[in-house]
Amino acid sequence: MKDNVAQRLVSALKESGIDFLTYLPETRLSEMIPLVRADSDFKVVPTTSEAEAVSIAAGAALSGHQAAVYMEGTGVYVSAYSLISVCARFGVPMLLLVSYVGSFADKKNSSAFSHYGRAAKLLEALGIEYQVVSRAENLEEQIGDATRAMNSLKLPVALFFTGEFTL
Amino acid sequence: MKRFDCLELLVPLIKDEIVVTSGSGQRVEWGHLSQHEGNLFIGSLGIALGVGLGLAIGLPKRKTIVLEADGSLLLSLFNLPTLANQNPANLVVIVFDNQAYSGSNISHPTATAGKTDLEMTAKGTGIGSAITVRDTAAFKREVTSALRKTGLRFIVAKVEETVDHRKMSRPNVDLLENKYRFVRYLERTEGKAIFPNERSEGQKSIE
Repeated sequence: MKDNVAQRLVSALKESGIDFLTYLPETRLSEMIPLVRADSDFKVVPTTSEAEAVSIAAGAALSGHQAAVYMEGTGVYVSAYSLISVCARFGVPMLLLVSYVGSFADKKNSSAFSHYGRAAKLLEALGIEYQVVSRAENLEEQIGDATRAMNSLKLPVALFFTGEFTL
Repeated sequence: MKRFDCLELLVPLIKDEIVVTSGSGQRVEWGHLSQHEGNLFIGSLGIALGVGLGLAIGLPKRKTIVLEADGSLLLSLFNLPTLANQNPANLVVIVFDNQAYSGSNISHPTATAGKTDLEMTAKGTGIGSAITVRDTAAFKREVTSALRKTGLRFIVAKVEETVDHRKMSRPNVDLLENKYRFVRYLERTEGKAIFPNERSEGQKSIE
């Protein structure tokens, strides 16, 4: 992700009220991490598993924070149990920021990621709403819409980043 | 030492602490013993410690207690390095280790019935306060200390396997109702909104 896009992404998260981020680093969107870590408005928790990242974010959301989880698309598979066990079952809002590895528009797609583009299908099975974001031109609006949706639904909502975000 | 006896000792010690329970027999027993509005019952294994860690980080001035079990912790050992590195001073983790998956109708041994030691596992990830207790006097002493003092505490309580929870009535609130009761309790006692009003542009006001 280009630096100016990363900056816009972080600013949009902040503007929409996100103040708590858990994550496991990956390749496509990692430029956002030093930005959120340098911003004292965010509480940032690095984790060892996306399953844990979701559980910790759920606890933060239940304590009054606006929580987001940043993960690679493969993390959707890893965190599916946490997403269904606590978030969907209890009704806990959080924003999933997912790099959509292996998707059609993933500019770094390769055989290593070729089967991971089905993560969105998994979210459909879990009943979790998502949008695929491939261009940055309406980024702020899409972050705002997603945050409003997660709070309206009191459920996780996912944004799958591909295309321009994978350059 | 029986888990139920430990939980009975814990009940009068709870004032305004948050209590998060994993989905095992202790959830049934704790629900039977405690009507505390600050109870958050998690109905699944491997989830409670992560949720409790998020609550403790999110509410750093509030003591959070996580009631875990060996089977549940073994399912989510990835929590331990994060717990060690976050090191929340307001979190008390109590792991009831009965060395069995006793939530099933026919019990099966967990790894702690074999070579695995949860205190050493926790210490290996960097949780220096990890300790094992084997009788109710030691349990009461460690838990009382943990509630009075600041600092991350990790107490492994070695208990015998009991199946009394199989005969107990389940908590009379479902998980969703429990969540709302918990959230309203936090809103009242913390004086802040937990879920923002989706119609508010600033998303800061209470519903």
